[in-house]
Amino acid sequence: MGLIQKSSSNQELRHYRGNIPVGNLYTAGIAGDRFFVDLRDKGRLLGTRCPSCERTFVPARHFCEECFTRLEEYVPVPSSGTVHSLTAAHVDLDGKPLDPPHVLAFITFEGCAGGLVHRLGGAPGQSFRIGDRVEMVLKDRKKRTGGINDIEHFRPAKGSRR
Amino acid sequence: MPRRVAIIGVGATVPRPVTPELSYRELIHEAAVRAYEEAGVEPREIGTFMPCTEDFYEGISISDEYSNDQLGAVLKPVHTIGGDGIHGIATAYMQIATGLFDTAVVEAHSKASNVLTPHHIMNYAMDPVLNRPLGENPLYVAGLEMSRFMHESGATSEECAWVVVKNRRNALSNPNGAFGAKVTVHDVLSGPAAFCPLGALEMAPPSDAAFVVVLAAEDRLPARAASPVWIRGVGWSNDSPTLETRSWARALYAEAAAQRAYRMAGIRNPARDIDCFEIDDTFSYKELQHLEALGICDRGEAGKRTARGETEIDGATPVNASGGSLGCGHMLDATGLFRTVECVRQLRGEAGQVQVKDAKTALAFGWRGVPTTSGACVVLGA
Repeated sequence: MGLIQKSSSNQELRHYRGNIPVGNLYTAGIAGDRFFVDLRDKGRLLGTRCPSCERTFVPARHFCEECFTRLEEYVPVPSSGTVHSLTAAHVDLDGKPLDPPHVLAFITFEGCAGGLVHRLGGAPGQSFRIGDRVEMVLKDRKKRTGGINDIEHFRPAKGSRR
Repeated sequence: MPRRVAIIGVGATVPRPVTPELSYRELIHEAAVRAYEEAGVEPREIGTFMPCTEDFYEGISISDEYSNDQLGAVLKPVHTIGGDGIHGIATAYMQIATGLFDTAVVEAHSKASNVLTPHHIMNYAMDPVLNRPLGENPLYVAGLEMSRFMHESGATSEECAWVVVKNRRNALSNPNGAFGAKVTVHDVLSGPAAFCPLGALEMAPPSDAAFVVVLAAEDRLPARAASPVWIRGVGWSNDSPTLETRSWARALYAEAAAQRAYRMAGIRNPARDIDCFEIDDTFSYKELQHLEALGICDRGEAGKRTARGETEIDGATPVNASGGSLGCGHMLDATGLFRTVECVRQLRGEAGQVQVKDAKTALAFGWRGVPTTSGACVVLGA
């Protein structure tokens, strides 16, 4: 056997710690730039329409993943959607408990391919279910930076009933 | 016709939650020594090597540079895979079947206990513009997926919990089952909440282990090799990587991977034609979702069949007799190779108390975990 000797003493076992500062820039890209500038300046969601398979992708993207067509037709999309799936996260990024849990959802928009992952909010104790209608709540215009957190959360749509 | 390819030796370390006495490279070395012993070969006789490694898990940039010497592969052709061990098996298969090499080695390992910030590494795999700025633990992706899977398939929380009960019980009878335990559906459902509806006990805990598999062409089997287990089919595939356009309910990557493997192996009805299944169960619902994607159960049936006991070791379609990831631990990109090794033991009749009776054909399926949509499948025959 290759390993003749193994340490069997806990007190003699040795380890070393290491880390590196990992830093990157991420380019939003052609479609990403238009999506986030529009979100910041006009407070609306932008999609791109595929002329070939006639689908509209939200958020806007530069190419169709179905038919590989370049997407150049930008169209605004209604900012209320439907809860496609949801979860309550009881654990944060460092593995620590979250109380109350953060409610996260994948939200789809009528007639569109794609959707957005975001937080669900509303009155304290508000509960959500798959199929609920929700609407986008934006940060104040002055606080928006052109990123996904320009959206505060999604809340139950006005006039929506289960 | 391409050449037939066989697994002629496997080497493994016993999966454990921590391995403080060995470096990850020594862990691999130990598995390699065992594998060469079983295959009856020296590493210098091997044609090509497929280590599977991932920089962020090793904590080493360009970690593939550090994958040859512990395998005895210095100055040998090395084709490192950034993927699951079953992707490695598929690559080894191709390199032998095409005649480029006569023998190959696949290696995959996990030293998960050395990874101090697993959720941050996982978060670094999320889309940096659309998803990462939310600042959440990326395992919420599993919670979202489980919700939608249950919604569309009709699977219940109890049925998901049965997967945990079965796999941890199976692990009790497997010497490789680090997390073997007797738990009840009630224990699972009343455990700590994690990413609701996914509970903390429905998530496979991490394990350390290394696995090395030696393969050879039918016309070049070493005289001293263990009895061959044949690669009958391989397939792999990815769904859309973005959270925005992937399927939340169905494991489409598994459907596509399995269809390729079945076509190659001539499998028409997997539930009938395959005797035992080792499939990804990183989370409870994943076993059910994958059972349906692999065509072992009709859609909406996996939960009911599991609760009825049909996926037990003595059931009609034994699934994860080893104890799976829930019972033996999740082993990063070694997860699929561990399951491949468990299938080899089943087909050789060496699986001891978890032996599936008369196992002649086996399937191993691996998924690369959150946030991937990456699946790989291998069908093995005695």
